[in-house]
Amino acid sequence: MNRQANADELNVEIESLLASGEIDIQGKWHSLALIAADLLELPNPEFKSRLEAELLEECPVSTTQEASFEQVTSAAAFAGILPIFGANDFRIFPADHRSFVVSFISHTLLIVLIASGIWVGRRPMLKSIATTPELTYLAIGGGGGSGDHSSVPATKGTPPKMSDQQLAPATIVVRRSDPMLPVQPTVVGPPDLKLPQSDRIGDLISSNVVVPSNGSGTGGGAGSGSGTGLGGGTGLGYGPGSDIGVGGGAFTMGRGITAPRAIYDPEPEYSDEARRVKHQGVVILSLVVDQQGRARDIHVARSLGMGLDEKALEAVKMWKFSPGMKDGIPVAVRVNIEVSFRLY
Amino acid sequence: MKTVERENDDRLQIKAAQNEPVRFAELYEQNFHRVYAFIARRVGSRDHAQDLTAEVFHQALASIGSFRWQGAPFISWLYGIAANVLAAHWQRLGRNPAQLEEAWDEGGSEEIERRAILAELVESLLPDQRMVIARRFIEQLSIREVAIELGRSEGAIKQLQLRALENLREKMGRKI
Repeated sequence: MNRQANADELNVEIESLLASGEIDIQGKWHSLALIAADLLELPNPEFKSRLEAELLEECPVSTTQEASFEQVTSAAAFAGILPIFGANDFRIFPADHRSFVVSFISHTLLIVLIASGIWVGRRPMLKSIATTPELTYLAIGGGGGSGDHSSVPATKGTPPKMSDQQLAPATIVVRRSDPMLPVQPTVVGPPDLKLPQSDRIGDLISSNVVVPSNGSGTGGGAGSGSGTGLGGGTGLGYGPGSDIGVGGGAFTMGRGITAPRAIYDPEPEYSDEARRVKHQGVVILSLVVDQQGRARDIHVARSLGMGLDEKALEAVKMWKFSPGMKDGIPVAVRVNIEVSFRLY
Repeated sequence: MKTVERENDDRLQIKAAQNEPVRFAELYEQNFHRVYAFIARRVGSRDHAQDLTAEVFHQALASIGSFRWQGAPFISWLYGIAANVLAAHWQRLGRNPAQLEEAWDEGGSEEIERRAILAELVESLLPDQRMVIARRFIEQLSIREVAIELGRSEGAIKQLQLRALENLREKMGRKI
């Protein structure tokens, strides 16, 4: 019988072992199948090296803790020398004074940089990425809304022009008909955005085509929301979202909107499943940082799998941000956060 | 004579690890598979066995400084820690630690030794044979899956499997 036929026969025996856990003790391949059965009980090959790495990481800490007072003082008694950790005694080596000076200066600089806020150290596990600067707040959209407590919805019509600033609220029914300085109503958003226009200001999606009304909202504009914009949202824009612009979402970066910054960002845990197979990579989460600096509306934009998406979500839900700003006012901003999982 | 040498080796290595904890790696290397086999024989799953083995070595490293040589092999001390770790594990699962003692009395030291030697021998196999063993028996992948991963034919993987097991049998025969 040739080698390949033997290999095939043995494999049939092994398949049976894997399926049933039983060995044919009379079989030709009995001795090899016994070894195969023992192999089923072995640990993952990566486990041994990973545990060894974990143990080695602990070594310097335990030694430092166990160093006795006498050991410390005896080391300190030598002039011109520096102690190193990692032995039962502080091992003593002559130190190069230049190294000491370089070390001292670099550490001092580092402390100054951190204290001044110029440089903020990022843990290697996590990196938040700024959204693409070319995007404007139009891309995802803001929104707006308002009203004057009317019992009927805002009248159907078209929203007023977009403007960088709002000099007059997007009101449908003007209560004062003889203003000293007439100003066209606008909603705040990109001025170059072309929305349907007509001579009748109103909400494009309203069902009220008859009764002139500013809607049930509050703030002086029109719609069911709040603020001086138009629509069901909050703010100065148009639509069901918040703040300015058009649509149902938060701002994205650009056009004078500053990025939110994480001020409390606990690291995610590694999932057991991913750790076992040393699965690494990056999860990208898309989320809105609201005006209070909370993360909301989080979803996975790029998945990594093996439980790491869930771990990234768990961690980022706990993050606290300083919110993004528009003209010095906190606004909700949609950002992408890159959560990097690496095993070292 | 060999026992005396073994004792001396143990003592020197323990002393080294007490003086310089990074030297614990040598003790770990020598005893890992025995501790793992000792635990794996008493718990059902590989995940549990790995977690508990890790706990044993973490505890051993943390208390190596207080270890006092009393003539018993170092592995006995590790088995003692493993017994405590297992007892705690069983308690967490709501099982009676007395069952552990029964399992203890059943012996199994030969089986532990055999599996520990086998694990060490697997590490000495040629890389492609070692890979096939790991994929087939530890991860329990099919021949087809292993063939795809390694970019070889299914026939070639079956032959590697046969060769690896024959090598292990031959080396085991020399060791035991």
